[in-house]
Amino acid sequence: MKQPFILALLVLLLMLSGLLSLTIGSASLTVTDVWQALLGSQQNPLASTIVWQVRLPRLLCAMLVGAGLAIAGAVLQNASRNPLADPYLFGLMAGAGLGASIASILLPPHMLSLALAAFLGALFAVALVFLVCMGRQWRKIEMTLLAGVAVSFMLSAISSFILYFAEPFAANKVIFWLMGSLSRTDWGSVGLIAPAVSVLLLVALMLRRQLDALLLSDESAQTLGVNPTRLRFILLLLTALVTACIVAQCGGIAFVGLMIPHLVRYFVGVTAVPLLLGCTVFGALFLVWIDNLARSALLNQEIPLGIITSVLGSVFFLVIMRQRRSAA
Amino acid sequence: MPPALLRLNQAALMIDGQSIVAPLSFSVHKGDFIGIIGPNGAGKSSLLKLINGTQPLSSGDILLQQRSLCKLSSRQRACKIASVSQVSPPVFALTVYQVAAMGLLPHKGWFDGNTSEDEQQIKLALRQLGLQHKARALVETLSGGELQRLYLARALVQQAELLLLDEPTNHLDVLYQHQILQLSRGLGKTVLACLHDLNLAARYCDKIALLHQGQLLAFGSPEQVLTAEQLSRVFQLPCEVSLHPGHGKLQITFFASGASL
Repeated sequence: MKQPFILALLVLLLMLSGLLSLTIGSASLTVTDVWQALLGSQQNPLASTIVWQVRLPRLLCAMLVGAGLAIAGAVLQNASRNPLADPYLFGLMAGAGLGASIASILLPPHMLSLALAAFLGALFAVALVFLVCMGRQWRKIEMTLLAGVAVSFMLSAISSFILYFAEPFAANKVIFWLMGSLSRTDWGSVGLIAPAVSVLLLVALMLRRQLDALLLSDESAQTLGVNPTRLRFILLLLTALVTACIVAQCGGIAFVGLMIPHLVRYFVGVTAVPLLLGCTVFGALFLVWIDNLARSALLNQEIPLGIITSVLGSVFFLVIMRQRRSAA
Repeated sequence: MPPALLRLNQAALMIDGQSIVAPLSFSVHKGDFIGIIGPNGAGKSSLLKLINGTQPLSSGDILLQQRSLCKLSSRQRACKIASVSQVSPPVFALTVYQVAAMGLLPHKGWFDGNTSEDEQQIKLALRQLGLQHKARALVETLSGGELQRLYLARALVQQAELLLLDEPTNHLDVLYQHQILQLSRGLGKTVLACLHDLNLAARYCDKIALLHQGQLLAFGSPEQVLTAEQLSRVFQLPCEVSLHPGHGKLQITFFASGASL
């Protein structure tokens, strides 16, 4: 199948999924109710309030978070030529979680200060991974992965420790930061995450040829006029920013950045433009349905989103590792 | 004589206080096919890296069309110099066409798409290198010879005047060794190629630079550089230089029994 056809199909599926998702929830709404509410009709004010105040911001957040994590994963994987890189395994999420945990205790609650602290935490995690893998080991896929996982565990443990001792009822917060949820999202979250994801997507698309050139080797890219260090620095900074904004609002949602780019690559190829666009749409579609599942699987109770993505992701991760071993 | 396309003026490379390439000077004219030969560690690949900018100069200067390479941005340099080096197949599943298309990069801005002329240019380069039927094939399915031809195709798409080849015949069987060098000669570019096989250098190069321990020992025609005395001294093996009965070019035979282990 041609790439544009696959992308168009995904966009259509995403729109339909979005419409259906707005009907799912404790108050039962029909597609007609949702459609009329979206068009601004005041025939059913309750439906309008539910759609506009509760479900639509959450749906848009699910789309943005899924797209953002998938784009970040694709960028990290292509820029590092490491098919197992993703914001979670690179330590970015744990770093952002640590930053946000500290800020939630020390600073008055404010969306921007939380996001900024998460960003600093993510940068700290990247610096730690770089430090461990400095020199030749940076090129070894397994080495970066191990360093990322170690940093992840270390920073998550520190976050949990801080929250556990700083707050009397910390369990909820620990679960939130470790497992992620969209339950706290609102229009403010959309306003925070949307610009960060858009900037990452636009910059990555602008640098598409440079990103593709990195797929062969650093030296090969240099002979085409690319500065690999500067390129990676810019992209890593932006992926850290996106991860930080997502973590600050939704906690740590694992493995989306690993799984989605792999699946998208299989259908549309490895070069930057189809991969990034595919990740945007498929990442959004994936998280919309994961959130639907999280909201509706148990009666009157929501499953943290990260539990579902972790179950799927860990199985996926094992399959990839097995494939890599067979290929070797 | 027209001005040199490339001129090295006392170009040198030092790493951690150790001289990798001693100050050396020579000129390359448009259309030249120049071989860089020497034993392992002589500084052949480092010399190419100085020219393509992946390694900064420690001292001296390199002029391309009478303009210092130091004053060119990496993109300007990539528009004028293309490199083909030993690259293992990519981790991700790139196609032959996608790799060849990478050659467009230095000529494109952030918002530029590929034009129909670009597409034609990529197809032409693949046809010139005999890879047109493999355009959609994955790079990992190519043989060593095809992979080298693909990187040559990418260099053609890059439209650079100067082509740098780092050990283009490594890991290739005899047929592909000749094929790659014949193709490189037939592209009408100015070529600097690091070569291990002295007989290939004698057969295909207009001029040869002989490096030893980072120093330029000789630069000139194959007859001037490939003398038995000089080669025996540099490669530490007795050798004989004769004329090949078939093509009439120089033929070098080393006598390995003289090797001191």
